[in-house]
Amino acid sequence: MQVPSAQATAASSLLALEEVSCRFGGLLALDRVSLQVQPGEIFGLIGPNGAGKTTLFNLISGVGRPTAGSIRWSDGAINGLPPDRINRLGIGRTFQNLHLFQRLSCLENVLIGLHHSARAPLLPALLGRRSFRQSQGELRQRALELLELVDLADTARQPAGSLPYGSQRRLEIARALATAPRLLLLDEPAAGMNPIEKEELSALIRRLRSRFDLTVLVIEHHVPLMMSLCDRLAVLNFGRRIALGTPESVRHDPAVIEAYLGVSA
Amino acid sequence: MSDLSLLVQMGFGALLALSVYLPLRCGQLSLATPGFYVIGGYVAALLSTSWSALSGDGAGYPLTSLALELVVAALVAAAVALVLGRPVLQLRGIYLAIATIALVEILRVLNLNLAWSGGAVGIFGIPQPFAGPGGYALATWVLLALVCWLCARLEDMRLGRAMAAIRDDELAARCMGIPSADVKLTAFVISAVIAALTGVLAAHFLNTWNARQGGFDASITTLAFVVFGGSRIWLGPVLGGLVITALPELLRPVGDLRLILFGLVILLGPILFPQGLITPERLARLQQTL
Ligand SMILES: Nc1ncnc2c1ncn2[C@@H]1O[C@H](COP(=O)(O)OP(=O)(O)O)[C@@H](O)[C@H]1O
Ligand SMILES: [Mg+2]
Repeated sequence: MQVPSAQATAASSLLALEEVSCRFGGLLALDRVSLQVQPGEIFGLIGPNGAGKTTLFNLISGVGRPTAGSIRWSDGAINGLPPDRINRLGIGRTFQNLHLFQRLSCLENVLIGLHHSARAPLLPALLGRRSFRQSQGELRQRALELLELVDLADTARQPAGSLPYGSQRRLEIARALATAPRLLLLDEPAAGMNPIEKEELSALIRRLRSRFDLTVLVIEHHVPLMMSLCDRLAVLNFGRRIALGTPESVRHDPAVIEAYLGVSA
Repeated sequence: MSDLSLLVQMGFGALLALSVYLPLRCGQLSLATPGFYVIGGYVAALLSTSWSALSGDGAGYPLTSLALELVVAALVAAAVALVLGRPVLQLRGIYLAIATIALVEILRVLNLNLAWSGGAVGIFGIPQPFAGPGGYALATWVLLALVCWLCARLEDMRLGRAMAAIRDDELAARCMGIPSADVKLTAFVISAVIAALTGVLAAHFLNTWNARQGGFDASITTLAFVVFGGSRIWLGPVLGGLVITALPELLRPVGDLRLILFGLVILLGPILFPQGLITPERLARLQQTL
């Protein structure tokens, strides 16, 4: 896969944020953030707690609206669209604070992600005709394959809420994948995982990218993991984008060292 | 009251309980059911008493006319639900409950004061399509069976899954591409249609119809059906509707004590079974032991 250059242009980008701001009362959670994500890249977003990373995901996925600036997807503005419309345009997401359908089984969680693939003629569905049962069987098969991909096939029948933390995070990924996104937003997918699980997750994200032709935007605190996983990174601090570029250039950026990495270096 | 009449009333209870259950299945506490029940009843009462062509020439009121009333009532209820649903369903939780109770009350006051609804006395002499309670019992239970079947099919369909998703976590459902406003509206419209169809049968069965058929009390009673029986699977509201409607009649032999006993059952049910009598888990365990 070709790795896009750090100076990618807005014209070729899949997602482009232009001077996006988001204000909550007196708090400017995002302050004129601009960035472009190129097709096929794994783009990392790092920064201290409260820097505005999750807020940025919320704006992209339609959960919140920017108070200024614009968000362009392919070649249309999507700011202000509701989350279900944005998902239909090809943007899937997971949640930092887990939003699974707790009481439903893992399989049902993924089946719900397959909602728009599950369209079936009403009458055969109501009558439980064979054509309907067959299409439902195929749907279940697809859901099971997605569960298998994240190593959860064995727990397909268990309620999502009963899974260990790490498994719930992977289930969120499978459910988001079921919506057939072109861009996947992962909000701290490795939180609560042990080092081995983190490595496995990193490999999984790469595998998913090549298998589904995905572009990935990922938030994660574990800096070494992000350095090895991401093609490019942006660093947020107090709502501002303070750095942007390849892992190598970000690592040596003085502003980053001072604001963020400096703490651990 | 004859046993067959009780059976009819129980069927009405179960149908109205299912009407409350459907919005609840996607997390919407709507208490508008009695309002649509009243609308259905008025459609039947007005059509059958004021449009003589419907009465036919035979002795009884023709079943085809009853069928026509059912269709008209369903269409009217669906149209009202479609128009009211968009704005009302933007409210959440207890606010939606209060707004829908208010709608039912507004409708009641309107019907009390408008000329065409017969005002406070209502509409009398609604013709009888069936010779006795047996026919009503059959019609009611056929309708109940149809609605139960629809609810059971929902469990297998994507609409049912989308409803469950919204109930569990609406934000997540929307981020998975589910148009939650449309799904909630669909549930609301189906709920309205069920209530209106029940109203049509009830108006003929009772022979008279007036504004008092629906109001705050009715909203609470229909909610009690679902709280008592359980709202997580369709069997719950059916059982709740049947039992709570039958209870006052079944307790008649104990005389004055019956209201106290009735109250106790309604009170103890939710305390002992907070999720209602019937839950999917309890049902699964029952199936295993059988
Ligand atoms: N809905 C909201 N209302 C008010 N303040 C919010 C809201 N969402 C986030 N914030 C605030 O915005 C800032 C950025 O939060 P967040 O985006 O969650 O940071 P991060 O994900 O980088 O840790 C925080 O100070 C947070 O308290
Ligand atoms: Mg966050």
